[in-house]
Amino acid sequence: MPTLANYLLASGILFAVGLGGVMLRRSIIIIFMSLEIMLNAANLALIAFSRYGLVSGHQVFDAQILVFFIITVAAAEVAVGLAIIVSLYRARQTTHVEDLDTLKF
Amino acid sequence: MNVSTIAWITLSAPILAAALILLVTRKSKPLAAGLAILSALITCAGGWILFSRGATGDFLGFNWVDLGASFQIPIGIALDPLSRTMLVIVTTIAPLVFIYSIGYMKDEEGYWRYFAGLALFLFSMLGIVLANNLVMMFIFWELVGVSSYILIGHYFRKDSAADAAKQAFLVNRIGDFGFMLGILLFWISTGTFSFSALNSSAGVFVQHPTLLGVACVLIFCGTVGKSAQFPLHVWLPNSMEGPTPVSSLLHAATMVAAGVYLLARIFPILSASPGACEVVAWTGAITALGAGILATQQDDIKGILAYSTISQLGYMVTGAGLAVSAALPMFHLFTHAFFKCLLFLTAGSVILGMHHEQNIWKMGGLLKKMPVTFITYCCGMLALSGCPFFSGHYSKDLIMACSWEHHRGIFWVVVIAAGLTPFYMTRQAMVVFFGKARTEHSEHAHESPLVMIIPLILLAIPAVCAGYAPVEHFFFHEIGSLAEPEVPSFVPTIFMAAFLAGLGLAFLIYRNVEKDPVRIPFLAQRFYIDDLYFWIVRVIQGGFARLCSFIDRWFIDGILVQGSATFIWTIGFALRFLQLGNIQAYAFFFGAGVIGLIYLILNVR
Amino acid sequence: MSPLLLLILLPLAASLLIMIGANPRRTAIVAALLNLVLSVLLFARYDLHAGGWQFLSEWHVLPNLGINLSLGADGLSMTMLLLSTLVTLSALWVAPKIEKREGLYYVCLLFISAGVIGAFSTLDVLFLYSFHELALIPTFILIGVWGSGDRQAAAWKATIYLGGASFVLLIGIISLYLSLPSGMRTFDLRQLDHLALSGTFHPASWIYLLLLVGFGTLVSLFPFHSWAPPAYACAPTPAAMLHSGVLKKFGLYGLIRICLPLFPEAIQQFNALLVLMLIGNILYIGYVTVAQKRLDWTIGYSSVMHMGYIFLGLASLTVMGINGAALLMFAHGLSVAAAFALCGEIRRRTGTLDYSELGGLGKVTPVLGLLFGFAAMASVGLPGFANFAGEILVFFGATVSSIYGPLMVVAIIIGVWGVVVSAIYMLRAYRHIFWGPIAQRWESLTDIAPTAKWSVILLLVPLMIAGFYPQIILNMVGTILPR
Repeated sequence: MPTLANYLLASGILFAVGLGGVMLRRSIIIIFMSLEIMLNAANLALIAFSRYGLVSGHQVFDAQILVFFIITVAAAEVAVGLAIIVSLYRARQTTHVEDLDTLKF
Repeated sequence: MNVSTIAWITLSAPILAAALILLVTRKSKPLAAGLAILSALITCAGGWILFSRGATGDFLGFNWVDLGASFQIPIGIALDPLSRTMLVIVTTIAPLVFIYSIGYMKDEEGYWRYFAGLALFLFSMLGIVLANNLVMMFIFWELVGVSSYILIGHYFRKDSAADAAKQAFLVNRIGDFGFMLGILLFWISTGTFSFSALNSSAGVFVQHPTLLGVACVLIFCGTVGKSAQFPLHVWLPNSMEGPTPVSSLLHAATMVAAGVYLLARIFPILSASPGACEVVAWTGAITALGAGILATQQDDIKGILAYSTISQLGYMVTGAGLAVSAALPMFHLFTHAFFKCLLFLTAGSVILGMHHEQNIWKMGGLLKKMPVTFITYCCGMLALSGCPFFSGHYSKDLIMACSWEHHRGIFWVVVIAAGLTPFYMTRQAMVVFFGKARTEHSEHAHESPLVMIIPLILLAIPAVCAGYAPVEHFFFHEIGSLAEPEVPSFVPTIFMAAFLAGLGLAFLIYRNVEKDPVRIPFLAQRFYIDDLYFWIVRVIQGGFARLCSFIDRWFIDGILVQGSATFIWTIGFALRFLQLGNIQAYAFFFGAGVIGLIYLILNVR
Repeated sequence: MSPLLLLILLPLAASLLIMIGANPRRTAIVAALLNLVLSVLLFARYDLHAGGWQFLSEWHVLPNLGINLSLGADGLSMTMLLLSTLVTLSALWVAPKIEKREGLYYVCLLFISAGVIGAFSTLDVLFLYSFHELALIPTFILIGVWGSGDRQAAAWKATIYLGGASFVLLIGIISLYLSLPSGMRTFDLRQLDHLALSGTFHPASWIYLLLLVGFGTLVSLFPFHSWAPPAYACAPTPAAMLHSGVLKKFGLYGLIRICLPLFPEAIQQFNALLVLMLIGNILYIGYVTVAQKRLDWTIGYSSVMHMGYIFLGLASLTVMGINGAALLMFAHGLSVAAAFALCGEIRRRTGTLDYSELGGLGKVTPVLGLLFGFAAMASVGLPGFANFAGEILVFFGATVSSIYGPLMVVAIIIGVWGVVVSAIYMLRAYRHIFWGPIAQRWESLTDIAPTAKWSVILLLVPLMIAGFYPQIILNMVGTILPR
């Protein structure tokens, strides 16, 4: 039987993958995808807690509700973020994150 | 009219005249002169009335500063024999000089400035004479200084006059530095600065003779400045840049004598300190001798008289330092005021007749061209030299005789000075009045107008008689004893010998010479003291000032103020490098920060 | 309507009118004139026998925190109010024709005036501070926009330096407030004095230090003086007059009002430090002034130097000393404002204030020379001007307290020598500017205009009145002492 720890490990690995993607990838679309991976890793952890973190013998479903919130927020965020990326591409003709350095000193 | 009212009117008349001249009558020459002379005559009348009534009293005018019983500075008039006599001296000479000025300054510009300055001076001088406490005297002391500044700087377009006025004020201020400290010291010791209380406070200092000595010497600093004693004498010869009547009134007869008057005023407490008296007497003696030596090499007719004034002031100061009586220096002040003022006025007459030429080597043979001037000059010159039957003889010889009795060392110094006086005066007389005319101007010199001659004649009378016993008794018997000390009979012979030697030597050397046969640059350059002071001012003071300025600009301002601003700027500059503009770097910092926070929250419990 | 509130509101109302569009110069001068008349009336009607705070009024702002706009005046405040209104009118009068943004110029000057009047008439410490800030910010604008020379640097430096000092001051004030027991916290001066007199209130010494540094910097106490000379040199003339004549005195006023009653032990403890600093002011700054070669820098530095004398009076902690200090505040305000006014006039005519370039102006501008002579002599401490009376009282006061230690004796000696030093640089300035032969290019200068002449006379006449009869001011100022 998979235990809580297994699910948390999976969630952690997913989160690390996502974090690595955010930190290390050059293309901004890939960074967004990694960001989604991180969010879903958090979702996984929440569901795992909901299923396995029993409080006085019963499941607690608050975390599963929170997952729905997170999915919604992620979707909204993607919508806004992709709009920004599109206008950024139109302005700068690049999706490489290293090329966006006008805030540099 | 009671005495107090007369005294206050006498004091206030000149300042009212000065204010009126300044505000109202700037355009009108006769009105300006008239106001000034009127006020001088009022003071003369007032002075003589007060003297003849033997008025005595201490009249409080008002409390200039009144902080309750703990501290008051009164403005009050003290009438006693000393102030009455001084009052007579000042108020008699002043109108004569004012009237003389009408003739002398006839064609000069700045007429109103001149008379306003003279009126201001008269007010300030009377304030010094009538003051009943040290602080009030100090106030008027400063006012006399500023009137002198205005008057010396009358011809302010000339660099030399402008510098001379500035120097006079500053050197006087240095003397006033000591004066003020002396007042403070006396006040903290005795709790008072009124003359009557101070003079009877010698008991306070019985345990602290050094304290008394220091305080007296500090007050004496005021005299050193005002009466041009060594080492603060340098301003007086330069003050000759002012118009000649100014030189005669301020810098011969009255203002410079204020220093001696101060000594006479504090005489009881001064004589309680033998140390201070020693300092005073030696300063006077050194000044008398040094100035006398310098006078022998001056080529400016007023310059000779200036150094002679310094020398005679030295005599007066010595007289005060001998601690015999307050009358001793005052007697010489009395005779000196008349004959020195006379001498300056005759010099002015000569200068005017010579079309403002002041170098004696451009003069000559004026005896025939300006007879009245010459005769009055002789009265003054003989009085100054100490010729018997002239006023100066009595007062000067008295000081010398007292010094024989009290202080042998000083005696020899003043005797040598007494020999120098007839020497340089005869030199002046020979070169200016005798012999042949040396230049065009002296060929065509003419006598001065009546308005200038009359004061000369009027002054010549006391120049001759002021020393005679009845006169001396009339003015001085209440001030102090002028008894002749017991001296061996050869002492008066020494005096006579000195007089004749000086006279004769000068007569022989300076008969019919074209230019000065004796040339001693060391003396002509005034012992190089002026140059020394100039150097001190420029190098030491200027250097210190520049050093302070440098520290201020570069250290305090530069390092501390600009430095702290630069420091902040540098921090800002360093922190700029955190702004990388790279999103991923920002994400990294963000993540690191979050991890750090979680750590803190979990661990700092 | 409280007369003191009227005094504050008049300049503000005039500013409002100017912003709407009234003639700036006329509106400002009318307001200042009304202010002067009002303050003279109040001065005359102050009851000397009763003493204490009079013309009281109060508006509650935050009563539970103890912050109220309480207005009242005692002898010292009345004297300072008189000084402020005199200098304001004179400064506005002497202001030259302004090309750009004339309205803003006059509004700034009026704000400064309102600020100082408010500061001197309020009884609430926080409002004291706020009014000072109100007066400080317009100087930044004035120096930066209409100044001369390196004006922007001077404006920045002065404002940030003084702002920093105000910040230190604010910390001190709030610490003082917080050190009161929590039921009785108030900013009201009367209650603070009451607490101090009753002997129950002992604020910490470090608060005194903060207040001393804060107030001291505002008064250009050595070594916190570097903002003053460039600010005055670069400021337009009316700003320099108001700042050096009036705004500077605010710091001293604050010291007398707040520090003297509330910190008796701390003052004793740190007196030696204060005396050392004021010796720096007199001696060191005195000689720095001697080294200056321009008139505006000379007057600026001399203003810093003379603050040393006022501090000496305060440090002496005697009746004479403090009275002398207050009198000297009044006298110095007038004399330095007159000096800056005349300096501005010289600069307007010749475009330079350098001693080596000027000379002989006495021939073509005699009245200007005469007035400058008066101002110079006043600053030098000539009797007949109130400065002398103040200085001599300071010396006597310091002498009394000198028996407590040799440092005070040194301070007195240096102080009296400082009188000589001030004569050196002032006479040198006068001689180099007005005396001597005149250079060709100055031959055609015009003498001082009547407006400038009368505005300077407006300052010199009270100075001489107080010089001849200092009791006028001393009677006023003396009423604060029993407290």
